Amino acid sequence: MTIYNPSNLPKNDNLNRFAFVVDVADEIFIRKGKMIAFYGQLQFESLGSSLLDILVKESFNSPLYINNFIVAKGRGQLILGDNGNDIACYDLEDANMTIKASHLLGFSKNIICQESTMPGFLTLMGNGKLIASSNGPVHFLDLPCRVDEQAILGWADCPSPSYRYDYAHVTNVLSAVGALTHITLSGEEKQIDFSGQGTVLIQSSEFGLNNSSALAHIMSQLPFLNKSELNSLNGFVAQNLKN
Amino acid sequence: MPAYTQINEKLIEVTLNNEEVFAKKGSMIAYQGKVNFARSFLGGGNVQDLAMRTVTNEGNALMVAKGSGKVYYGHNGLFVSIIQVNNEMVYVESETLLAYDARLTVGTMFLGNQGGVQSMVRGAVSGQGLFTTALQGTGEMAILSDGNAIALPVTAEQPVFVDPNAYIGHKGNLTSTIVTDLNWKTFVGQASGESYQVKFMGQGTVYIQASER
Repeated sequence: MTIYNPSNLPKNDNLNRFAFVVDVADEIFIRKGKMIAFYGQLQFESLGSSLLDILVKESFNSPLYINNFIVAKGRGQLILGDNGNDIACYDLEDANMTIKASHLLGFSKNIICQESTMPGFLTLMGNGKLIASSNGPVHFLDLPCRVDEQAILGWADCPSPSYRYDYAHVTNVLSAVGALTHITLSGEEKQIDFSGQGTVLIQSSEFGLNNSSALAHIMSQLPFLNKSELNSLNGFVAQNLKN
Repeated sequence: MPAYTQINEKLIEVTLNNEEVFAKKGSMIAYQGKVNFARSFLGGGNVQDLAMRTVTNEGNALMVAKGSGKVYYGHNGLFVSIIQVNNEMVYVESETLLAYDARLTVGTMFLGNQGGVQSMVRGAVSGQGLFTTALQGTGEMAILSDGNAIALPVTAEQPVFVDPNAYIGHKGNLTSTIVTDLNWKTFVGQASGESYQVKFMGQGTVYIQASER
């Protein structure tokens, strides 16, 4: 077992599959609770604090997730880990990449972060590094392809995807009975469809991380609903709780 | 014939050329090309098999993918292993089975047929029930394991002892017996996997996982 010290820690690289070392020189956004150790002089500040308002205005354009991220500033080496998930770092050069919000561990301050139109995803634009975790190594797919919603990690340089429902199985009588008895949509029946040019990143498993990013998105939409819509949502939630 | 490729320890790719593959429902991660998915109730077997699977609870929901293209499979972050089957019989628990195709015929096996009373005891001890899924033929299949699946070869001179809770399947011409190691610890409730083992004899391979159910 290697014993690491500040001089032999990798610089902006993986320590092993499950831990990543960031060489912090000025400021970097990281997800709350993913710091596992650090060397040097680092301070962690929440995004709401006034000192950082300028930084937030310029690069963190996503109020929904403001509570999920903090800023690490100073000089030092920061080690990130995420519940034993694989971690990878992606370099953006004048590019854009959309990534599942719950899997985004950190990004450098010159990247602009905005909410994607897909609930639970963040779009990152500009030049810099971003660090993301995944269950199992990430696999890159060329377009066109269709992906299980739960297995998707993100996509780069391609148009926003759309949903595709596979209704072919319902024409089969036996399948229809099955669909009635197991009222769930698995990846085989509902997929995310990507077309055009670009790359899709998938995790090796449909196992999602526990996260509240989808909930945060739903909550943000609630003020737009009227009373009868809220009532029907209430009924729908009650029905889902029973299942 | 469908070609199975290991992408990484948790993901496999199956290439279809106007063919079909059966896989655990919900394990499709992504696909490219023209592939249609449907619930498969027969899973390549016949109606009697279906009835057998339903009654014995060895019937896991299966999806059939049909067409031309590449399909990626993975499940719950479990490790995936591809097993080559060469004109032999493979026994696995249905929950362990990730994918197979029409080259293999699938059936439900009563453990009593395969190793007598001892095998039934094994099913009871490991909590896997008295029935198991058997696949026969020549081809490939994919199984799931918690951690890497470990293949232990068994020869006539070299039997293998495994913990029933770590056992995931076996292939070849094997017979199994339960070996007990009862002592005072068993009676004061300190028994662990070490007091029941399954001994596999014959010629074949036993698959275990580095995790106990």
